[in-house]
Amino acid sequence: MRIVAICAAASIAALVAGCGKQEPQTTGTPPLVRQMTEVQYRAVIADLFGPDVKIAGNFYPTPREDGLMAVGASHATITPSAFERYDKLARLIAAQVVDASNRDMLVPCKPAAVKSADDACATVFFSKVGRLLYRRPLNQDEVARQVKLATEVTKTTGSFYDGLAAGLSGMLVAPDFLLIGDLVETDPNDAARKRLTGYSIASRLSFFLWNASPDDALLTAAEKGELYSERGLAKQVDRMLRSSRVEAGVRALFADMFGFDGLARLQKDPLIYPAFGLSAADDSGEQTLRTIVDQLVVNEGDYRDLFTTRKTFLSQPLGLVYRVPVETTSGWEPYEFPVGDQHVGIQSHLSLLALYSHPGRSSATLRGKAVRELLLCQKVPDPPANVDFTLVSDSSNPVHKTARARLSAHSTDPSCSGCHKLMDPIGLSLENFDGAGQYRATENGEKLDTSGELDGVPFKNPQELGTAIHQNAALNSCLVNRVYAFAGGHTPQPGDRPLLDYIEKKFVADGYRLKPLLRTIATSEGFYAVGGTATGTAEASVKP
Amino acid sequence: MTFLIKKPMTRRAALRGVFHGASVAVALPFLDCVLNDSGTALAAGGALPVRFGTWFWGLGHNPGRGIGPKTGADYVFLDECKPIVPYQKHINYFSNFNTPLDGRRLAVHFTGWVACRTGTVPVQGEIPAPTLDVLVADVIGGKSRFRSIDVSSTGDPKDSYTYRNSGSHNAGEVAPLSLYARLFGPGFADPNAATFVPDPAALARKSVLSSVNEQMKDYVKNVGTADRARLDEYFTSIRQVEKQLDLQLQKPDPLAACRVVSSPAEGKVGDELELVLDNHKIMSNMMAIAVACDQTRVFNMLYSQSLSRLHRRGETFIHHALTHEEPTDPKLGYQAAVAWYNIKSMEAMADFIQAFANIKEGAGTLLDNVLIFANSDTNFARLHAVDGVPVITVGRAGGKMKSGLHVAGNGDPITRIGLTVMQVMDVAVENWGTGSLRTAKPITEILA
Amino acid sequence: MHILRAVTTAGAAICALAAFLPGIANAGPAPKRTVGLVVTSWFTAQYNTPHWEECPEGAAIGNDELWLRSLPQDARIKKTDGGKVQPVDGARKQQAVVRGPNGEDVCMNPTVVNDPPLRIIKGKFGYGFNLDGTNDGAPTSKSCKHDKFEDPDTGLKVDNQTYRTLGCILGWRNGNYMEGHPNGERQDSGRGTILIEVTDVDDLENDPDVTVAFYGALDPMPKDSTGKILPFASYHVSGTPQYGAKAKGRIENGQLTTTPVDARLPLYGNNYTGDMFLKDMRLRVAMPKEGEGAPVKALLGGYYDFNKWWDYIQKIEFLLVAGQWNCPQIYQAAKQLADGYPDPKTGECTALSTALTMEALPAFIVHPKNERTVAEAPEPEKKTQLAQGQ
Repeated sequence: MRIVAICAAASIAALVAGCGKQEPQTTGTPPLVRQMTEVQYRAVIADLFGPDVKIAGNFYPTPREDGLMAVGASHATITPSAFERYDKLARLIAAQVVDASNRDMLVPCKPAAVKSADDACATVFFSKVGRLLYRRPLNQDEVARQVKLATEVTKTTGSFYDGLAAGLSGMLVAPDFLLIGDLVETDPNDAARKRLTGYSIASRLSFFLWNASPDDALLTAAEKGELYSERGLAKQVDRMLRSSRVEAGVRALFADMFGFDGLARLQKDPLIYPAFGLSAADDSGEQTLRTIVDQLVVNEGDYRDLFTTRKTFLSQPLGLVYRVPVETTSGWEPYEFPVGDQHVGIQSHLSLLALYSHPGRSSATLRGKAVRELLLCQKVPDPPANVDFTLVSDSSNPVHKTARARLSAHSTDPSCSGCHKLMDPIGLSLENFDGAGQYRATENGEKLDTSGELDGVPFKNPQELGTAIHQNAALNSCLVNRVYAFAGGHTPQPGDRPLLDYIEKKFVADGYRLKPLLRTIATSEGFYAVGGTATGTAEASVKP
Repeated sequence: MTFLIKKPMTRRAALRGVFHGASVAVALPFLDCVLNDSGTALAAGGALPVRFGTWFWGLGHNPGRGIGPKTGADYVFLDECKPIVPYQKHINYFSNFNTPLDGRRLAVHFTGWVACRTGTVPVQGEIPAPTLDVLVADVIGGKSRFRSIDVSSTGDPKDSYTYRNSGSHNAGEVAPLSLYARLFGPGFADPNAATFVPDPAALARKSVLSSVNEQMKDYVKNVGTADRARLDEYFTSIRQVEKQLDLQLQKPDPLAACRVVSSPAEGKVGDELELVLDNHKIMSNMMAIAVACDQTRVFNMLYSQSLSRLHRRGETFIHHALTHEEPTDPKLGYQAAVAWYNIKSMEAMADFIQAFANIKEGAGTLLDNVLIFANSDTNFARLHAVDGVPVITVGRAGGKMKSGLHVAGNGDPITRIGLTVMQVMDVAVENWGTGSLRTAKPITEILA
Repeated sequence: MHILRAVTTAGAAICALAAFLPGIANAGPAPKRTVGLVVTSWFTAQYNTPHWEECPEGAAIGNDELWLRSLPQDARIKKTDGGKVQPVDGARKQQAVVRGPNGEDVCMNPTVVNDPPLRIIKGKFGYGFNLDGTNDGAPTSKSCKHDKFEDPDTGLKVDNQTYRTLGCILGWRNGNYMEGHPNGERQDSGRGTILIEVTDVDDLENDPDVTVAFYGALDPMPKDSTGKILPFASYHVSGTPQYGAKAKGRIENGQLTTTPVDARLPLYGNNYTGDMFLKDMRLRVAMPKEGEGAPVKALLGGYYDFNKWWDYIQKIEFLLVAGQWNCPQIYQAAKQLADGYPDPKTGECTALSTALTMEALPAFIVHPKNERTVAEAPEPEKKTQLAQGQ
């Protein structure tokens, strides 16, 4: 059924992909419990209570695992310090929700008297808010628990709304909210198999595609059991992909993949890079994400073209860095680097160039490593421990003027050269951009040699490097791998390989476009399969 | 009555030593009226508790420039340790303790500190076991408002080397202002205040948390065993806040050593050396006061990362890059710029020690009642040597430990030091570490 | 009458500065380039020696001192409360400026008092352009008899009566308050920003025929963390059509010089908002080096319409004490020293030769989508003496 739908949607692609064959089986994934990330938390609160509710305070960073915070979130725990912050935020948010200026809009009922408890109104509030916070309806006991708490607090403080706020603040630090858990149940069609509950499917989908909680329509679909059917699932996936909210999901995916959380703390030496102010750091990530969204979501273009495109978006602070005119005085405008300019592709964006550099210097090695690891998913081994930089530190050796000269020391040392060969040719071609992304033709007065090769494809300059990345087959498998890992919150295992190969083939057949890839994964059976390797997985006991 | 003076203090003022900055223990005028100098005990009749802290600096010393070969008392600090010479009698220095890898790959700037703090050589970038501060906090952390206070001076919360496991990281506070707000802002009950008014909101919050606990019990039923451990920690975290609320509901015992100062002004954070030194000093002082005020009994400070990104304003090279790319000075025989940074690290350590020395507690200073475990990640950074990673302890742990000694390890596993300090801190651990790092032999010569 | 030449409407809104776009491959014949400059600071060009040798009479006397001198001894003591009321104090400042015989404000009425003559520049050297074309300052159809300066660097005879007038006043000397402070005001507010756009450039080093336009902008200048203004910022042309004068120019060995043009430039500073009106304005500027963001030096000169210039001086009277100057003396001196554009009836010159030293940075000049040309706009300057003098 599902396959038919895909064929109908893209018949040429379907032919290439061998339409009509079932997708390969996977071993499935054990149920995961993912900790909500900061971006997700903010999105959920904004969805629920509106963007005016302030979330003042910062979060502890989610650890990155196998290249993604989305994967790290499956193993992160809530430490005492982190819980303290969640607790403080929860109280601040709850106070705003019940504040006199907001309560008429955010509390769906009015109490009989503001100074005393009103179980009926509290029940309405907790049921409604709880369903969206916990991404499933609350059962009677759960609602009763919140109402009881609210009543207790109202008795102490003499305010109905204090009671609501107390209950809400508790829900905001509850595991049901902060942790996105896969709940499983026995498959009614096959008693030997487990499957995700409809609500868990809904959560997976919405955090994957929108980086936010399921909306009412999706929860309703889950409630009606529609997500178990191919048609029902596809209907929701298509609805979600059509929504503009998919932009948030795509942003989250690439921000995670490229480590843009680091931009918030990125600092460059102001004396060396005067044009790189704080707003340039903030804007740089936005530039890349806007470029990605425009290419992949708005234009539904080829993913590989991200590495050869001259089109991007600029703001005033970025104009200073790139040294190009920016017409708008505030905000963003589309910009196309002229033909011949070396700023080609997102790998030449300030975000990636600055993030993978030192505070006062560029780094061919870090940049090369970033291209290998972030774009091509090729793990570069850590440097050997007993490296001796005798060549570099030989004082009779005049100071090397260029990074190429400095790194030549590594590449002549056999213990270094193996890995540096993987990174340096890529990074050295990006030496045309200094540590804060500004173009330069020379370093210390010496003309830069930016030629190199990537997996056998030679290039002469950063522009040609973009073309080499574009052509590299690993680019596609890497994206498929990352999107799959991001979507499910776990690193694909060997058992997932056949499915991933299938997805990659479809991705290629679909013209390397992201939205069809998201659809393939979101509608894939294997993606939701519950693996047998889970230890001690219990049945879902939380039922509506 | 409160000692909190709400007027923000400038960064300059904070550095000048409003935090009891002078080494002479002179009572500050604004406190004179409310405190006397007595207070030989934490509370009436109770002994002063031993508090535990860690301090980290990246990239060690240049070889042969930290400490002279003489062991025992009267050891000699060499050039790169000159800044801590004034504290020598409080310091034990451990040299020549090794980190055998048992055939595992050496992950540069990672294996060194992980092995030293967890007792296990890590594989694949994982944190293989809890860091020793977490094990100590499991024993003593529940007795104070905060289980531990973790601070990173580099501006990045990720730069904090305290973990229960890879997924459970105690991220660092990075900004003096937010650290101050957390320690001494709302929720802080001054132990020396004349009156005590329990916060009525605390009761309501306790009800909230007990309701969350109930939800947690339901939730745990739905997860696999691996995730149960994560939820255990979640439980612990809730309990810690409940503990804080309990403390808010009862009058704290007076603490003579607790003298809270005014809030620092909002300032920049980042990894510019000048900024790091400033922030490190301000936050060290706050941390020491938090310890004196019994807000926490475990404290962790990171001065610079193992791959130290510290750099002087306007310089293209970071400390770490210099260790590899600076030529050895033919006349001096060492890397001069690296040495300069290494000395700065020890200046920072001196600031940290001084913060505790500033606070009069009992018959001596707070320094006498703490045990600080300080280590780096490498012995000789240029070669990433993990044998002989320098480890330093500061303080006498309330008289349980000797100080002022240089202990040479003769190649013994570095875990002997961690085992010793954990045993001093009453962690029930007979042996510690895995593989060749496993040891049951504490360093008895430093035990009092 | 000199009509400002029409500004052609740019087809594209943004001038692409090919010369400064990094990383362009050099392929085929180089296209005509545009070089944008933003003037980051400017001062009256002055030759000042540390010991004031060019002012043999000494420093000019400020308004407050002239006022005090006019008072009998007992009144001096009384009005200053025995010296306790200082020149900067508001009440004293106000009294000092209304020192006309009938209490007139002497800035509004500079001829009502008979102050001793202003101490002016008597030295040989000065900076500027040779505006009248003579080496001796003999009168011509466009100029009155005046003394010339010798440019200390080139030995050329040049005109700069503005410098001659103001050069011995402490507050107006090089970099001091009167002209130093407004530069900061302009940088931070963006008001009064002067843009110079060089188009039709084939070669940054030598090009016999380029076009140079002068615009105004309202964009604050972005600075780095140390307060240095950053190059390559984008500035938006504003205030056209009254600005936008265009001159022809030539580049020789990296130095651009323009032909004379009558121009209006934005003037903001010391709380004054207005324009500079310069006749026969010309520019000499070092062209920026390819791709470099270093500041460049420029000299801009011409005849400044006296009445417009005086309007500015008058309106900044609140700075009399800060700059230690006074209105009547400056008025009288400048009237006498005016050397350009004689009134056909009286023969009295109506403009003051002037020269400004400028520092400029490479910048991008963004033109409004529907830029109006001067030709389409109403003639703005019918009433000035300059216009009447045509």
